[in-house]
Amino acid sequence: MELGIHILLFTLVAGGIVLMGAFYAEGGNATALASVPRRLFMFLASCALLAGIMLLCEHTFASVS
Amino acid sequence: MLPRPNPWPLRPFQLGGWLIQRPLRKSPPTALKSNSASTGDANVATLLSWFVPGAGHFYLGKPKTALIAFLVVEGLFAIGLALSKGMTYEFLDPELQGRFAMLLTPEVGNLGGLLYQMRGYGFGQVTTVPHAWPAHIMLGSLLTALSGILNACVMMQANLDARISGEDRQRGRSPALLAGFAWLLPGLGHFLQGRRARAFLVFFLLVGLFALGTGLAAQSNLSRERHFYYWAGQFLIGLPAIATEFISGRPPVTGEITHVDAGLTIACIAGLLNVMAMLDVFRYGEDVLLGEAPEKRTSPGAEAAA
Repeated sequence: MELGIHILLFTLVAGGIVLMGAFYAEGGNATALASVPRRLFMFLASCALLAGIMLLCEHTFASVS
Repeated sequence: MLPRPNPWPLRPFQLGGWLIQRPLRKSPPTALKSNSASTGDANVATLLSWFVPGAGHFYLGKPKTALIAFLVVEGLFAIGLALSKGMTYEFLDPELQGRFAMLLTPEVGNLGGLLYQMRGYGFGQVTTVPHAWPAHIMLGSLLTALSGILNACVMMQANLDARISGEDRQRGRSPALLAGFAWLLPGLGHFLQGRRARAFLVFFLLVGLFALGTGLAAQSNLSRERHFYYWAGQFLIGLPAIATEFISGRPPVTGEITHVDAGLTIACIAGLLNVMAMLDVFRYGEDVLLGEAPEKRTSPGAEAAA
Protein backbone atom coordinates (compact mmCIF):
# COMPACT_ATOMS: atom_id res chain seq x y z
CA MET A 1 0.00 0.00 0.00
CA GLU A 2 2.72 2.43 1.04
CA LEU A 3 4.83 1.55 -2.01
CA GLY A 4 1.80 2.13 -4.24
CA ILE A 5 1.25 5.62 -2.78
CA HIS A 6 4.90 6.49 -3.31
CA ILE A 7 4.83 5.25 -6.90
CA LEU A 8 1.66 7.25 -7.53
CA LEU A 9 3.17 10.43 -6.06
CA PHE A 10 6.38 9.90 -8.02
CA THR A 11 4.44 9.44 -11.25
CA LEU A 12 2.49 12.64 -10.58
CA VAL A 13 5.66 14.65 -10.00
CA ALA A 14 7.35 13.00 -12.99
CA GLY A 15 4.41 14.05 -15.16
CA GLY A 16 4.80 17.64 -13.95
CA ILE A 17 8.55 17.69 -14.54
CA VAL A 18 8.20 16.22 -18.02
CA LEU A 19 5.38 18.58 -18.99
CA MET A 20 7.35 21.65 -17.89
CA GLY A 21 10.42 20.28 -19.68
CA ALA A 22 8.37 19.89 -22.85
CA PHE A 23 7.03 23.43 -22.55
CA TYR A 24 10.53 24.75 -22.02
CA ALA A 25 11.91 22.93 -25.05
CA GLU A 26 9.08 23.37 -27.53
CA GLY A 27 7.63 26.66 -28.68
CA GLY A 28 4.21 25.42 -29.75
CA ASN A 29 1.71 23.81 -27.36
CA ALA A 30 0.75 21.04 -29.79
CA THR A 31 4.40 20.07 -30.39
CA ALA A 32 5.12 20.17 -26.66
CA LEU A 33 2.15 17.99 -25.72
CA ALA A 34 2.89 15.56 -28.54
CA SER A 35 6.41 15.06 -27.20
CA VAL A 36 5.23 14.31 -23.64
CA PRO A 37 4.73 10.50 -23.99
CA ARG A 38 8.24 10.00 -25.39
CA ARG A 39 9.77 12.25 -22.73
CA LEU A 40 7.77 10.62 -19.94
CA PHE A 41 8.85 7.16 -21.04
CA MET A 42 12.50 8.28 -21.15
CA PHE A 43 12.20 9.93 -17.74
CA LEU A 44 10.57 6.94 -16.06
CA ALA A 45 12.93 4.47 -17.74
CA SER A 46 15.97 6.53 -16.66
CA CYS A 47 14.69 6.79 -13.09
CA ALA A 48 13.97 3.03 -13.00
CA LEU A 49 17.50 2.34 -14.24
CA LEU A 50 18.97 4.66 -11.60
CA ALA A 51 16.85 3.04 -8.87
CA GLY A 52 18.02 -0.38 -10.04
CA ILE A 53 21.69 0.67 -9.89
CA MET A 54 21.21 2.16 -6.42
CA LEU A 55 19.52 -1.00 -5.14
CA LEU A 56 22.30 -3.09 -6.61
CA CYS A 57 24.94 -0.90 -4.96
CA GLU A 58 23.06 -1.05 -1.66
CA HIS A 59 22.82 -4.85 -1.86
CA THR A 60 26.47 -5.22 -2.87
CA PHE A 61 28.29 -2.60 -0.82
CA ALA A 62 26.01 -1.55 2.03
CA SER A 63 24.34 -4.76 3.10
CA VAL A 64 24.70 -5.42 6.83
CA SER A 65 23.16 -8.88 6.90
CA MET B 1 36.92 42.21 -35.21
CA LEU B 2 36.61 38.44 -35.49
CA PRO B 3 33.07 37.06 -35.35
CA ARG B 4 32.20 35.18 -32.20
CA PRO B 5 31.72 31.41 -32.52
CA ASN B 6 28.07 30.49 -32.69
CA PRO B 7 27.09 28.62 -29.49
CA TRP B 8 23.79 27.53 -31.04
CA PRO B 9 22.51 24.94 -31.73
CA LEU B 10 23.64 23.07 -28.65
CA ARG B 11 24.15 19.34 -28.69
CA PRO B 12 21.91 17.08 -26.62
CA PHE B 13 23.30 16.42 -23.12
CA GLN B 14 24.96 19.83 -22.99
CA LEU B 15 22.10 21.43 -21.17
CA GLY B 16 19.86 18.86 -19.63
CA GLY B 17 20.11 15.89 -21.95
CA TRP B 18 17.20 14.39 -23.86
CA LEU B 19 14.52 15.39 -21.43
CA ILE B 20 15.19 19.10 -21.23
CA GLN B 21 16.85 20.20 -24.41
CA ARG B 22 17.41 23.79 -25.23
CA PRO B 23 15.67 24.71 -28.43
CA LEU B 24 17.49 25.64 -31.56
CA ARG B 25 17.90 29.29 -32.33
CA LYS B 26 18.56 30.73 -35.68
CA SER B 27 21.12 33.12 -34.24
CA PRO B 28 22.99 33.40 -30.96
CA PRO B 29 21.30 35.69 -28.45
CA THR B 30 24.38 37.88 -28.13
CA ALA B 31 24.64 38.66 -31.84
CA LEU B 32 21.61 40.83 -32.27
CA LYS B 33 20.66 42.51 -35.47
CA SER B 34 20.80 46.03 -34.20
CA ASN B 35 22.80 46.54 -31.07
CA SER B 36 24.28 49.82 -32.13
CA ALA B 37 22.74 51.43 -29.07
CA SER B 38 24.63 49.05 -26.78
CA THR B 39 27.11 50.84 -24.58
CA GLY B 40 28.66 47.92 -22.75
CA ASP B 41 29.14 44.23 -22.38
CA ALA B 42 26.03 42.28 -21.34
CA ASN B 43 27.93 39.90 -19.07
CA VAL B 44 29.69 42.73 -17.25
CA ALA B 45 26.38 44.56 -16.77
CA THR B 46 24.79 41.40 -15.37
CA LEU B 47 27.64 40.68 -12.96
CA LEU B 48 27.76 44.28 -11.74
CA SER B 49 24.02 44.17 -11.04
CA TRP B 50 24.46 40.94 -9.13
CA PHE B 51 26.89 42.57 -6.70
CA VAL B 52 25.26 45.98 -6.50
CA PRO B 53 21.67 46.39 -7.76
CA GLY B 54 21.62 49.04 -10.47
CA ALA B 55 25.39 49.02 -11.03
CA GLY B 56 24.89 47.28 -14.37
CA HIS B 57 22.54 49.99 -15.56
CA PHE B 58 24.93 52.66 -14.31
CA TYR B 59 27.67 50.98 -16.34
CA LEU B 60 25.36 51.06 -19.37
CA GLY B 61 24.82 54.80 -18.96
CA LYS B 62 21.34 54.62 -17.40
CA PRO B 63 21.78 56.37 -14.05
CA LYS B 64 18.07 56.91 -13.38
CA THR B 65 17.20 53.23 -13.83
CA ALA B 66 20.27 52.37 -11.78
CA LEU B 67 19.19 54.59 -8.90
CA ILE B 68 15.62 53.26 -8.89
CA ALA B 69 16.83 49.64 -9.01
CA PHE B 70 19.29 50.27 -6.17
CA LEU B 71 16.76 52.02 -3.95
CA VAL B 72 13.98 49.45 -4.45
CA VAL B 73 16.11 46.31 -4.10
CA GLU B 74 18.33 47.51 -1.28
CA GLY B 75 15.38 49.26 0.38
CA LEU B 76 13.53 45.94 0.58
CA PHE B 77 16.67 44.27 1.82
CA ALA B 78 17.33 46.94 4.47
CA ILE B 79 13.75 46.78 5.80
CA GLY B 80 13.96 42.99 5.88
CA LEU B 81 17.28 43.12 7.68
CA ALA B 82 15.92 45.58 10.25
CA LEU B 83 12.79 43.51 10.92
CA SER B 84 14.71 40.26 11.27
CA LYS B 85 17.66 41.91 13.06
CA GLY B 86 19.88 39.89 10.74
CA MET B 87 18.91 36.64 12.46
CA THR B 88 17.35 34.83 9.48
CA TYR B 89 20.37 32.64 8.84
CA GLU B 90 20.25 31.41 12.43
CA PHE B 91 17.31 29.27 11.24
CA LEU B 92 19.84 27.00 9.58
CA ASP B 93 20.84 23.94 11.57
CA PRO B 94 24.35 24.31 13.07
CA GLU B 95 25.71 21.34 11.13
CA LEU B 96 24.66 22.99 7.85
CA GLN B 97 26.17 26.39 8.59
CA GLY B 98 29.10 26.72 6.24
CA ARG B 99 30.80 29.19 3.95
CA PHE B 100 28.63 28.32 0.96
CA ALA B 101 25.45 27.40 2.83
CA MET B 102 23.61 30.48 1.65
CA LEU B 103 24.11 29.86 -2.05
CA LEU B 104 20.83 27.94 -2.19
CA THR B 105 18.72 30.76 -0.78
CA PRO B 106 16.72 33.37 -2.71
CA GLU B 107 18.94 36.07 -1.18
CA VAL B 108 21.78 34.95 -3.44
CA GLY B 109 20.10 36.98 -6.21
CA ASN B 110 21.23 40.07 -4.29
CA LEU B 111 24.81 38.98 -3.71
CA GLY B 112 25.99 42.29 -2.28
CA GLY B 113 23.23 42.22 0.34
CA LEU B 114 23.89 38.57 1.15
CA LEU B 115 27.61 39.21 1.66
CA TYR B 116 26.82 42.26 3.80
CA GLN B 117 24.49 40.24 6.01
CA MET B 118 26.95 37.36 6.28
CA ARG B 119 29.74 39.73 7.24
CA GLY B 120 27.70 41.72 9.73
CA TYR B 121 25.52 39.06 11.29
CA GLY B 122 26.57 35.65 9.97
CA PHE B 123 24.84 32.74 11.66
CA GLY B 124 24.58 34.58 14.96
CA GLN B 125 26.61 34.33 18.11
CA VAL B 126 27.02 31.01 19.83
CA THR B 127 25.40 31.39 23.24
CA THR B 128 24.19 28.94 25.80
CA VAL B 129 21.21 31.13 26.64
CA PRO B 130 18.25 30.63 24.28
CA HIS B 131 16.96 33.85 22.78
CA ALA B 132 13.63 34.71 21.21
CA TRP B 133 13.27 35.67 17.56
CA PRO B 134 12.31 39.27 16.77
CA ALA B 135 8.54 39.74 16.46
CA HIS B 136 8.59 40.25 12.68
CA ILE B 137 11.44 37.97 11.72
CA MET B 138 9.32 36.02 9.22
CA LEU B 139 8.27 39.17 7.40
CA GLY B 140 11.86 40.42 7.46
CA SER B 141 13.12 37.13 6.13
CA LEU B 142 10.54 37.27 3.35
CA LEU B 143 11.63 40.78 2.35
CA THR B 144 15.32 39.89 2.13
CA ALA B 145 14.37 36.87 -0.01
CA LEU B 146 12.18 39.10 -2.16
CA SER B 147 15.08 41.47 -2.76
CA GLY B 148 17.02 38.53 -4.23
CA ILE B 149 14.26 37.65 -6.69
CA LEU B 150 13.78 41.29 -7.63
CA ASN B 151 17.47 41.76 -8.26
CA ALA B 152 17.48 38.68 -10.50
CA CYS B 153 14.94 40.55 -12.66
CA VAL B 154 17.15 43.66 -12.56
CA MET B 155 20.08 41.53 -13.74
CA MET B 156 18.01 40.14 -16.61
CA GLN B 157 17.00 43.65 -17.60
CA ALA B 158 20.60 44.89 -17.49
CA ASN B 159 21.63 42.00 -19.72
CA LEU B 160 18.87 42.81 -22.19
CA ASP B 161 19.56 46.54 -22.13
CA ALA B 162 23.15 45.86 -23.12
CA ARG B 163 22.07 43.70 -26.07
CA ILE B 164 18.88 45.22 -27.41
CA SER B 165 18.53 48.58 -29.03
CA GLY B 166 15.68 51.02 -28.41
CA GLU B 167 14.19 50.10 -31.77
CA ASP B 168 13.97 46.40 -30.86
CA ARG B 169 12.54 47.26 -27.45
CA GLN B 170 9.43 48.74 -29.07
CA ARG B 171 8.30 45.29 -30.22
CA GLY B 172 6.97 44.08 -26.87
CA ARG B 173 6.99 44.11 -23.10
CA SER B 174 10.25 43.64 -21.24
CA PRO B 175 11.00 39.90 -20.93
CA ALA B 176 12.59 40.56 -17.52
CA LEU B 177 9.37 42.15 -16.26
CA LEU B 178 7.32 39.27 -17.66
CA ALA B 179 9.66 36.76 -15.98
CA GLY B 180 9.04 38.65 -12.73
CA PHE B 181 5.29 38.27 -13.25
CA ALA B 182 5.83 34.58 -14.01
CA TRP B 183 7.54 34.27 -10.62
CA LEU B 184 4.77 36.17 -8.85
CA LEU B 185 2.04 33.86 -10.12
CA PRO B 186 2.78 30.75 -12.19
CA GLY B 187 1.33 31.23 -15.67
CA LEU B 188 0.89 35.00 -15.35
CA GLY B 189 3.88 35.70 -17.60
CA HIS B 190 2.49 33.37 -20.28
CA PHE B 191 -0.94 34.96 -19.92
CA LEU B 192 0.44 38.46 -20.47
CA GLN B 193 2.22 37.19 -23.57
CA GLY B 194 -1.12 36.00 -24.94
CA ARG B 195 -0.31 32.31 -24.46
CA ARG B 196 -3.41 31.58 -22.46
CA ALA B 197 -3.68 27.80 -22.89
CA ARG B 198 -0.12 27.36 -21.67
CA ALA B 199 -0.72 29.87 -18.88
CA PHE B 200 -3.64 27.89 -17.46
CA LEU B 201 -1.78 24.59 -17.80
CA VAL B 202 1.26 25.99 -15.99
CA PHE B 203 -0.88 27.58 -13.29
CA PHE B 204 -2.95 24.49 -12.50
CA LEU B 205 0.03 22.16 -12.72
CA LEU B 206 2.35 24.13 -10.44
CA VAL B 207 -0.21 25.42 -7.97
CA GLY B 208 -1.72 21.92 -7.88
CA LEU B 209 1.67 20.39 -7.09
CA PHE B 210 2.30 23.02 -4.42
CA ALA B 211 -1.13 22.40 -2.85
CA LEU B 212 -0.55 18.64 -2.91
CA GLY B 213 2.84 19.04 -1.26
CA THR B 214 1.49 21.42 1.37
CA GLY B 215 -1.37 19.03 2.13
CA LEU B 216 0.92 16.02 2.45
CA ALA B 217 3.31 17.95 4.69
CA ALA B 218 0.36 19.20 6.79
CA GLN B 219 1.56 22.80 6.18
CA SER B 220 4.81 22.11 8.01
CA ASN B 221 6.61 23.17 4.81
CA LEU B 222 5.46 26.77 5.22
CA SER B 223 7.97 27.70 7.93
CA ARG B 224 11.42 28.87 6.90
CA GLU B 225 12.61 28.23 10.43
CA ARG B 226 11.59 24.57 10.25
CA HIS B 227 12.60 23.73 6.67
CA PHE B 228 15.13 26.31 5.55
CA TYR B 229 16.09 24.91 2.14
CA TYR B 230 12.69 23.45 1.17
CA TRP B 231 11.23 26.86 1.92
CA ALA B 232 13.80 28.42 -0.42
CA GLY B 233 12.71 26.09 -3.24
CA GLN B 234 9.00 26.63 -2.83
CA PHE B 235 9.49 30.40 -2.50
CA LEU B 236 10.19 30.34 -6.24
CA ILE B 237 6.50 29.73 -6.89
CA GLY B 238 5.81 33.25 -5.64
CA LEU B 239 2.47 34.44 -4.35
CA PRO B 240 0.85 31.02 -3.74
CA ALA B 241 3.63 30.14 -1.28
CA ILE B 242 3.73 33.56 0.36
CA ALA B 243 -0.05 33.86 0.70
CA THR B 244 -0.43 30.30 2.04
CA GLU B 245 2.31 30.92 4.57
CA PHE B 246 0.79 34.09 5.94
CA ILE B 247 -2.83 32.89 5.83
CA SER B 248 -2.00 29.62 7.58
CA GLY B 249 0.16 31.35 10.16
CA ARG B 250 2.65 28.47 10.02
CA PRO B 251 0.78 26.05 12.29
CA PRO B 252 2.84 24.08 14.80
CA VAL B 253 3.54 20.40 14.26
CA THR B 254 1.65 18.49 16.92
CA GLY B 255 2.11 14.91 15.78
CA GLU B 256 3.69 12.60 13.29
CA ILE B 257 3.08 13.52 9.65
CA THR B 258 3.02 10.34 7.59
CA HIS B 259 4.10 11.69 4.20
CA VAL B 260 6.02 14.77 5.26
CA ASP B 261 9.08 13.94 3.13
CA ALA B 262 7.00 13.51 0.00
CA GLY B 263 5.10 16.71 0.77
CA LEU B 264 8.25 18.78 1.29
CA THR B 265 9.80 17.45 -1.90
CA ILE B 266 6.70 18.01 -4.05
CA ALA B 267 6.14 21.58 -2.81
CA CYS B 268 9.82 22.36 -3.41
CA ILE B 269 9.71 20.85 -6.92
CA ALA B 270 6.68 23.02 -7.74
CA GLY B 271 8.79 26.10 -6.98
CA LEU B 272 11.78 24.85 -8.95
CA LEU B 273 9.60 24.04 -11.96
CA ASN B 274 8.36 27.62 -11.91
CA VAL B 275 11.93 28.66 -12.75
CA MET B 276 11.53 26.74 -16.02
CA ALA B 277 8.28 28.58 -16.63
CA MET B 278 10.09 31.88 -16.01
CA LEU B 279 12.84 30.93 -18.46
CA ASP B 280 10.24 29.97 -21.05
CA VAL B 281 8.54 33.35 -20.63
CA PHE B 282 11.85 35.19 -20.80
CA ARG B 283 13.02 33.48 -23.97
CA TYR B 284 9.67 33.89 -25.69
CA GLY B 285 9.75 37.61 -24.87
CA GLU B 286 13.33 37.85 -26.07
CA ASP B 287 12.42 36.16 -29.35
CA VAL B 288 9.56 38.62 -29.82
CA LEU B 289 11.94 41.55 -29.27
CA LEU B 290 14.35 40.08 -31.79
CA GLY B 291 11.61 39.68 -34.36
CA GLU B 292 12.01 35.90 -34.43
CA ALA B 293 9.11 33.43 -34.46
CA PRO B 294 9.06 31.93 -30.96
CA GLU B 295 6.37 29.35 -31.82
CA LYS B 296 8.62 27.87 -34.49
CA ARG B 297 11.48 26.97 -32.20
CA THR B 298 11.87 23.29 -31.48
CA SER B 299 14.30 20.99 -29.76
CA PRO B 300 17.01 19.09 -31.67
CA GLY B 301 15.35 15.79 -30.71
CA ALA B 302 12.00 16.83 -32.12
CA GLU B 303 13.64 18.01 -35.34
CA ALA B 304 15.46 14.73 -35.71
CA ALA B 305 12.25 12.78 -35.09
CA ALA B 306 10.46 14.85 -37.71
